[in-house]
Amino acid sequence: MKNIRTNLVLASAVLLISACASNPKSTSLLDQVRVDYVQAQGNPKIATYAALEMQSATEALAKANAAAKERESLETVDKLAYLAKQKIALATEVASKKSSESEIASSAAIRDQVRLDQRTQQVEQARLKAEEAERSAQAARDAAAAATQQKNLAQDNEAQAQRLAAEASARNTQLEAQLAELAAKKTERGLVITLGDVLFGTDLARLNADGTRVAQRLATILQQNPKRAVLVEGFADSTGQTRHNQELSERRAAAVRDALLDMGVARERISQRGYGESYPVAANDTAANRQLNRRVEIVLSDDRGVITPR
Amino acid sequence: MTACNSMKAPATADVAVSQAAVENASQADGTEFAPADMQAAREKLALAKKALAAKDYKAATDYANQAQADAKLAQAKAGSAKAQSISATLQEDIRVLRAELERAGSQ
Repeated sequence: MKNIRTNLVLASAVLLISACASNPKSTSLLDQVRVDYVQAQGNPKIATYAALEMQSATEALAKANAAAKERESLETVDKLAYLAKQKIALATEVASKKSSESEIASSAAIRDQVRLDQRTQQVEQARLKAEEAERSAQAARDAAAAATQQKNLAQDNEAQAQRLAAEASARNTQLEAQLAELAAKKTERGLVITLGDVLFGTDLARLNADGTRVAQRLATILQQNPKRAVLVEGFADSTGQTRHNQELSERRAAAVRDALLDMGVARERISQRGYGESYPVAANDTAANRQLNRRVEIVLSDDRGVITPR
Repeated sequence: MTACNSMKAPATADVAVSQAAVENASQADGTEFAPADMQAAREKLALAKKALAAKDYKAATDYANQAQADAKLAQAKAGSAKAQSISATLQEDIRVLRAELERAGSQ
C-alpha cells in the first residue's frame, strides 16, 4: 500500500513538472478517480475486508496514471481511468458487504442471546406463578384446617359446657334432695336450714344427738359441694337483757360451727354471726313462739361461695 | 485500424469471461439492485461482441474489460445491499425482542 501511494505521488510530481505538453496529463475522469481512490484509502472497512480488491484498483489506477504520464490519447487514459474507477467502487462494495456480513454474525449471536434471555424469563415467570399458586393453595388449606380446628374446639367446648351443666344440674338435684331432708327453705339469700332450740343441749354450747345428726348431714353436703360455704346465724328470744341475748345467740352459732369443724369442714368455709333478739320469726308473746325465736339459721352459699349478708 | 490476428484469441477469451461475469451478476440479482451498472455491462458486452465480429480485437478487449468491471460492480452492489438489509432486519429483530423482554420483565 505504501509503495502504491509513493508511486502516485511520484506520478503526480512528474505530471506537475511536464505541465506544458500538448496532450493533457490528466483528464477530468482521472482526476475524479484519484479523489475516489483517496477516499477509499481512508475507508477502514476496505483495509479490513477488501485488501485484494483494493490492490487490483491500485494497479488499475497506476496504469491510468502511467498512460497519462506517457501522454497517450485522452481516450486511452479515460478507458484505463474508468476501469480503475469501477475497481475502486468494487472494493468499496465488497468491503461494505463483508462488513455487513460480520455485523450479521454478531447480531445473530446477540439475537440468540436475547431469545435465550426471553425463554429464561418466561421459565422464571412461570416458576414464580406456580410458587404463588402453591402458596395460595397452602394458605387455603391452612385456613380450612384452622376452621375445622375451630369448629372442633367449639364442639368440644359445647360438649364440655353441656357436661358441666349436666353435672351441675345433677349436683343441684342431689343437693336439693339432701336439703329437703334437712327442711331447708329457699329464700332470696339462698337455702336456709333452721336448727330449733330443741336440738341444743341444756348448756346451749353443744348440739344434742338430734342436732349432731343434722350437722352431720350438712357436713356431708359441704363435702360433696366443695365450692359452697355456710353462714351460721344465731338468734335469741327477747326475754332478759339484750346483751345476754346477744351472747346466747353467739354461743348457739358457735356450737353449730364447732360441730361442723369437728366433722372435718374447713374453717374458712364457715362464717358465724350472732344477732341477739333481732330478726324474730314470731312474736315473743307465748312460750311456743319464744321457742321458735331461739334458733340457729344456716345459710348455704351459691356454688361460688357467695352469701348475701342480712 | 490494423487488426493483428494474434490478438484474436485473447480478445475472444476476454469476451467470454465478460459474458460469464454478466451472467453471474444477473443471477446475483444485479439487475434488481444495480440496474445502471447492469445496463452498462450488457451494452459494453454487446459492443465487445460486435467488435469481435468485426475483428477489431483491441476494441473487443477494451469493451470486454469494461463490461466485466461493470458486471462485477453490479454483483458486489447486490451482495452489499442484501447483506445490509439482512443486518438491518436482524438489528430490528433484536430491538423488538429486547422491547418484549423489557415489557415482560416489568409485568
